[in-house]
Amino acid sequence: MAQVNEPTRPPGLAFAAGAAFLGVARTAGGMGVLFGRILARLVPPRIDRTELTRNLYKMAVKSLPIVVVTALFTGAIMVIQAAPIVKRYGAEGLLGWGAGFGTLREIAPLLTALMISGRVGANNTAELGTMVVTEQVDALRALAIDPIAFLILPRFLSIIATLFMMTLYADALALLGAAYTGQGLLGVTPTSFYHGVTSGLLGLGDVTNGLAKSLVFGLVIALASCHFGLATTGGAPGVGRAVNATVVASAAGVFVLDYVVSFLLG
Amino acid sequence: MTPRTPEAGRPDRRRPDGGAPGDDRERDERPSVVADLGRAALDLVAGARGLYSVYVRTLYFAVRGRRDRGALVHQMYEMGNKSLFFVSITMGFIGMILVYQAGLQAKRVVPEYTMLGATYLELLVRDFAASIGALMLATRVGAGIAAEIGSMVVTEQVDALRMCAADPIDFLIVPRFLASLVMTTVLIVWAGTIAFCAGAVTARVAFDVPLETFFNMRLVDFGDISIGVTKCVAYGAAIPIVSGYCGLSTFGGSEGVGWATTRAVVNSSLAIIILNFFISGTGFIIFPK
Repeated sequence: MAQVNEPTRPPGLAFAAGAAFLGVARTAGGMGVLFGRILARLVPPRIDRTELTRNLYKMAVKSLPIVVVTALFTGAIMVIQAAPIVKRYGAEGLLGWGAGFGTLREIAPLLTALMISGRVGANNTAELGTMVVTEQVDALRALAIDPIAFLILPRFLSIIATLFMMTLYADALALLGAAYTGQGLLGVTPTSFYHGVTSGLLGLGDVTNGLAKSLVFGLVIALASCHFGLATTGGAPGVGRAVNATVVASAAGVFVLDYVVSFLLG
Repeated sequence: MTPRTPEAGRPDRRRPDGGAPGDDRERDERPSVVADLGRAALDLVAGARGLYSVYVRTLYFAVRGRRDRGALVHQMYEMGNKSLFFVSITMGFIGMILVYQAGLQAKRVVPEYTMLGATYLELLVRDFAASIGALMLATRVGAGIAAEIGSMVVTEQVDALRMCAADPIDFLIVPRFLASLVMTTVLIVWAGTIAFCAGAVTARVAFDVPLETFFNMRLVDFGDISIGVTKCVAYGAAIPIVSGYCGLSTFGGSEGVGWATTRAVVNSSLAIIILNFFISGTGFIIFPK
């Protein structure tokens, strides 16, 4: 899309700050309106079953390899980072607690959300954006099919469900990766690692805290991805820009909400 | 350019048409597990070869190619200055979260916070600043590179470059590569500073840790700094190479650009996590505490 009045030199700081604020407000408003529309379609739930299954397969099942690799490596990295501290205090028995706490509460939900936002959220924007620029969404409207109910609702639900399930997997796999790295690096047996995880310093609350976060992250990713997908303009470069905007907005939203949820639940 | 398919995402399987007749056929003729595995392995090898080729050619042209100050400065502005706001916001929040969670944990075991700041700074320098900052840059910068180069590929601008006997790697990837090497390091130092200051404020407000106790650099040593800098350089090199490769292997119109951008984000993030594992592991062996 040609920018007609591109200024020749970068605008002033106040201008940039105002423009950034307006951009954020526009995005947040658009996402809010979309959320309202989706909720309105949920009241008597009319969900296209085949579309939902197809999206769940495409989003959840196809993301498994990435989530498995990410989670195993993340668990290993958590132990490598905790290793000097554990050695300094000679607290081998606490390794399971330290790595387990960080993994379950923060790192597993956060990294899973980032990977799913890249794999699923961006992909969904690309699909919706392509449908918008090739006028397939207009075609749906012309056939009196509500695009929100038919296209967006199943994707919205699938993304939230996908992230929730993938966080469950990531929790388990990250702890597995952490246990075996602890054995290789510090000589802490997996048995004593898992004992550290389950000996009482960690409770179900830590797991549900992470899972609650994953639901909130799923909501943000789903809204951002559907919003930017539907707002795509301007052909192939437009689709690229929409995907770019989605991943940036998802990442920022995930981090900000992580903070809010941590404080609310902590 | 021959279309290559890296391991994540198979473009030929996508059906963005929202329930076209092809879907049922796709489900019925799903190949066996062995075929899936074999194809995944072949894709992985092809992707690795393509990536390696882009990497070697980038290094070659970075040394022997043309010098384009304007393109370099432009890319540094695009990557560095334009990511500043995003990186500051995300790292500020992650800094607050990390200290808050660590403080809650410390309370359960040792109810005193004198070492909170020192340990936090050590972890930031050695890992979190570089890795989380680079994950943010992979989303922001990686997606940008792939979207831009991918659009150029599908609108045949890259072919036009080749027609003019200009190597697209030399013209498109090398400025991004050099800009990213510099700007990733700069942004990660900035990201670490923001995260540390946000953490200090959180510790002051939530746990009453005085700022002078929190600003404690006793635990940061040569090993931590060299691991941190190694990570900066490695991530700074990985992001433009992986994203540029994904952008150059785009095919198939606007869906193709979307797919390339997706793959760029996922593959650069994976590259960062895997590099982090190897650098951290090596660092732990070289600099044992």
